Amino acid sequence: MPTIAIDAMGGDFAPDEVVKGVAQVSLETDIQCTLVGDELRIQEILNATTYNPENISIQHAREFIDMADDPKAAIRAKRHASILVGARLVAEGDADALVTAGNTGAAVLACAQHFKPIHGVRRAALASVYPRQTEYPGQDELALLLDVGATIRCEAMELVQFGLMGGAYARRVSKVASPRVALLNMGTEETKGGDVLVQAHRQLKAVPDINFIGNIEGNDLAKGKADVIICEGLLGNVVLKMLEGLAELVVDLAGTAARENWRWKLGLMMLASGFGRLRDLTDYAAYGGAPFLGFEHLLIKSHGRSNARAIKNAVKVAAKAVRDGVTREIATAIERL
Amino acid sequence: MVLRRAKRPNPEPSRVVIFRWDLDKTYLKSEFETLRELVRIPFEKPEDKIAVPGVVPLIRSLRQVATQAGRDVRVYFISASPPQIAKAIKEKLALDGIEYDGIVFKNQLQHLVRGQFRNLREQVGYKLTELLKSRANMPPDSTEVLFGDDWESDPIIYSLYADVLANRLAADELDNVLTTIGVAPKLITQAHELAAAAHHADVVTRIYINLERRTPPAHFRLLGTRLVPAFNYFQTAACLYQDQHLTLPAVAHVAEHLISTSGYTPERLANSLADIVRRGHLSHACAIAVREYLHARGLLQRRRVVGARLSAWQRFLRWLRAQPAPPPASPAAINYQTLVAEWRGTR
Repeated sequence: MPTIAIDAMGGDFAPDEVVKGVAQVSLETDIQCTLVGDELRIQEILNATTYNPENISIQHAREFIDMADDPKAAIRAKRHASILVGARLVAEGDADALVTAGNTGAAVLACAQHFKPIHGVRRAALASVYPRQTEYPGQDELALLLDVGATIRCEAMELVQFGLMGGAYARRVSKVASPRVALLNMGTEETKGGDVLVQAHRQLKAVPDINFIGNIEGNDLAKGKADVIICEGLLGNVVLKMLEGLAELVVDLAGTAARENWRWKLGLMMLASGFGRLRDLTDYAAYGGAPFLGFEHLLIKSHGRSNARAIKNAVKVAAKAVRDGVTREIATAIERL
Repeated sequence: MVLRRAKRPNPEPSRVVIFRWDLDKTYLKSEFETLRELVRIPFEKPEDKIAVPGVVPLIRSLRQVATQAGRDVRVYFISASPPQIAKAIKEKLALDGIEYDGIVFKNQLQHLVRGQFRNLREQVGYKLTELLKSRANMPPDSTEVLFGDDWESDPIIYSLYADVLANRLAADELDNVLTTIGVAPKLITQAHELAAAAHHADVVTRIYINLERRTPPAHFRLLGTRLVPAFNYFQTAACLYQDQHLTLPAVAHVAEHLISTSGYTPERLANSLADIVRRGHLSHACAIAVREYLHARGLLQRRRVVGARLSAWQRFLRWLRAQPAPPPASPAAINYQTLVAEWRGTR
């Protein structure tokens, strides 16, 4: 059974929700969890919850990096921060993967500091999953978007590697035999998007290990045409934040409408089950977190607002990725490039 | 140096030690959550009954260690099951090689015939009076260690029993508590009389509660440090080592049994040991002794501080700072009215 290190102090609702999520994992699975953070505080929370101590260990870390901290400065100043201790645990072989809902920048820097990059990987990529339409029964309801912030600008070869890494992850974790990889661009024509994207398009087409379906535009992102969408970090981050913002806007609008007019309220009530399904689909807690790919070890980054359920699912995703040998699969794919 | 200082801090047990065990969910892995499971119990053969992992080597070791130390040891079972299943249970105990000195069953049929339906489910009055009756026949200087579970009312029954014997609970307070719980008036009177007649001494040294339902340990905080909520019998064994009821080889025997028969791993055992230390029931010194002994036999992983390169001096300071062992029992008075109110709220 894999051992997963969890940054107990990272996230808006840490450590309470993180510890509770891990407590749930300890009861439902045999995954070995190592909670990294303030030992006394963690045990205090455990004492008040239902848990199985046989599957939980605690690694004390006397500092933590706040969500609002400047990642670079915090990583330098807080050498005993929980995210750094967690990354060290994984790097030294005491855990197989790391889960955090904390400061994304600090998590990326902690991994870069302690994890060895996979041989041949030029840049690591932070992925995110987002809900999309399904085209056939059994298709994964989530697509993988990378990079969403580990880089700003990329070279063509780096985008190709993102395609290979995302494809390997989708094959192993989402069990898609031949994941369809698309390049996010401003047009479907291969000449669109400037030198880097044109070159990336040409190179992606030439890689036999990638099921490349061409460029994809923003309006097709949610249609389920591709399983893996690759882009530069700057663009990916904008897309991700916009999707989140839109989801919040829809919920706000529905709430306002319900307050404004009783007929709208009635209509919304009739659509309640549909909204429920939509909410389930867009619920970040259901998928737990997304991976930071390109290192010999895995980081699963959960949403900052993660609750216990999200953490539980993130730990399960991490364990699944470890069991299914995602990093090995990526290394093999990069080696063949 | 660590091992020299790691001597168990708690006083040696008395000449006569009594171990009292609840049966269902403490000794036996009884399943009676559904009506179907409940109906099946009377028809179970002894060989079908399953003991809770680790309990058999633990009870055997308790007797063995006490005998080797020249102490008189007695093992009693108390069950809320009807005497109709006594034969199967006694045969199961024989199959497991458990020697015992007495076993009590609850005569449910008698309550049914007399129409005392409330008494069918009520355990506090029944167990408390049975415990007090049994105590009357024990040597006055004997001490007791009690084992129960978190399914019904063992924590409160055992705590009441301990405090009644220690004369920490006034007669009217006992009456009030039992009345609040809903014990039948006849049993309250009986408990009252038995309590008055008992030889008063602080004889219950520990109460171990097997957290079969995984009840959060904080639920037992009002019951003091005398009560140890334990998630498995390895945790219990480690604490019994601290109280000098078990030796390190006996703790290792329990660990070995858990690994060989119940799918435990050295990692799971190491986590259990760390948990009971963090919860303050086992001293760091005893935990170190257990860990070193089991590690030498390949039964436990040694924990290391990741990323930290500590000097010998830093390790020594860290060890010195380690918290002292918990006291053997809690002399502090328990507020039973608050306890009962909270306890009822969770049921």
